[in-house]
Amino acid sequence: MTKSFMKALVLAASLVALFAVPAAAQIHSIDYVGYGWTTGGPTKAIGDGFDFVGVADYVDPVFGVNLAAEELTFHVYGLLVVSEVDLGGTLMVTYSGGYMEIYQDGAMNADWGINPPNLTAPATFADGSLFFAGEFTDMTMFVFPSGGGNFEGNLNGIAGTMIDGSCTGCVYTWGGAFSTDAGAQIPEGYGLQVDGVLEIDAAVSVDQAAWGSVKALYNN
Amino acid sequence: MKARILFLAIVMLTFLLPGAVMAQQFFDYFGMTLLPNGVGDSLTMYAEVRDPAPAVAPLPLDYDNYQYTLVITDLELVADGFPEIYANGTITLYEDNGTTADYASPATFTDGTAILVGAVSMEVYHLSNVIPTNTTGNGTGTVDWIGGTNLNDFAPEDQLGWTFLVATNSGSGLLEPGYDEVWDGKVEPQDIIVSTDRVTWDKLKAYLK
Repeated sequence: MTKSFMKALVLAASLVALFAVPAAAQIHSIDYVGYGWTTGGPTKAIGDGFDFVGVADYVDPVFGVNLAAEELTFHVYGLLVVSEVDLGGTLMVTYSGGYMEIYQDGAMNADWGINPPNLTAPATFADGSLFFAGEFTDMTMFVFPSGGGNFEGNLNGIAGTMIDGSCTGCVYTWGGAFSTDAGAQIPEGYGLQVDGVLEIDAAVSVDQAAWGSVKALYNN
Repeated sequence: MKARILFLAIVMLTFLLPGAVMAQQFFDYFGMTLLPNGVGDSLTMYAEVRDPAPAVAPLPLDYDNYQYTLVITDLELVADGFPEIYANGTITLYEDNGTTADYASPATFTDGTAILVGAVSMEVYHLSNVIPTNTTGNGTGTVDWIGGTNLNDFAPEDQLGWTFLVATNSGSGLLEPGYDEVWDGKVEPQDIIVSTDRVTWDKLKAYLK
């Protein structure tokens, strides 16, 4: 096989790589329920904090977690209110900072207790092995005239076995609904009951050959 | 005197018997909806019920042998706006060990046994009404259980007034083809539900000794 033919073959292969179509995104999820409380002052005042502890009741099979034998518990903390905007009866609350940690634990001992933080919350939601840790890049809560609402926040993954194993370069979105009025279903001292889903967007990146590296191949 | 002792014993057993202190019943769901075209049209939801172990009374769901789905049909949009008002819907909890629920085939959500059937109404806030680019929303409503094979697992006073809570999202990456929104939420009682397990006289006497 001639040298010129080889160069043409390499060039053609590189151009194919350069224009390759990225694989379709794969969306995975972890469904959860739990309760939240506010800290530091009146609800949703500037500087007020929002904390949450919860448990997963569904996890995408790709993560290999057996909820019959172990629990995934959520602990959200460090979120602070930085602004509130009244949208004509609907309050838009914007937070800064904040972290989410998910723990995988065979003890299955999650216990909300009452009047958090307490002996079991967040402690029993932050024990076991670290499955995922994320840092919020944004978090917004909407409070409707009914008193309930929904929220959505995005995170950067910073640690945990989920990142090390099956999910590098993913995008994480934490969302859900909350209610402040659910009778006996909210343990004493908690202000919100929360239900939602953590979406994990595992878009597959495609390696692309830069023109400079293609020329380097051609000249060798 | 005997009546007074019996009364005190029953009060004590309320706190001593297994099951007297327990996790509360609720149905956590995740599903897809078809939104109405306008006032007078209806909303439909097909959802899978999640498994919040451990199973709790009075209706412990058996996920080892069944899949559970929650379906809303004929939920009429009676008033558009912010919020949207919905009424006259039917919500059904199905138990099925046949076909796996598949959003491409909605019939797979309704081919089991209807263990609970209820009347549902709600109001839904879609944030796109105030922030056009926002795809999320929230809904709250009420469910009265009025039928189903397991209705009488609940005392009559515990069948009514359950809360329906939902987070909606038309822009979720989890949205299945052909549907309008992801709905994720829960259906749960407002008040504490106590199992209707009965105490025999012999067990009562045993505790009194």
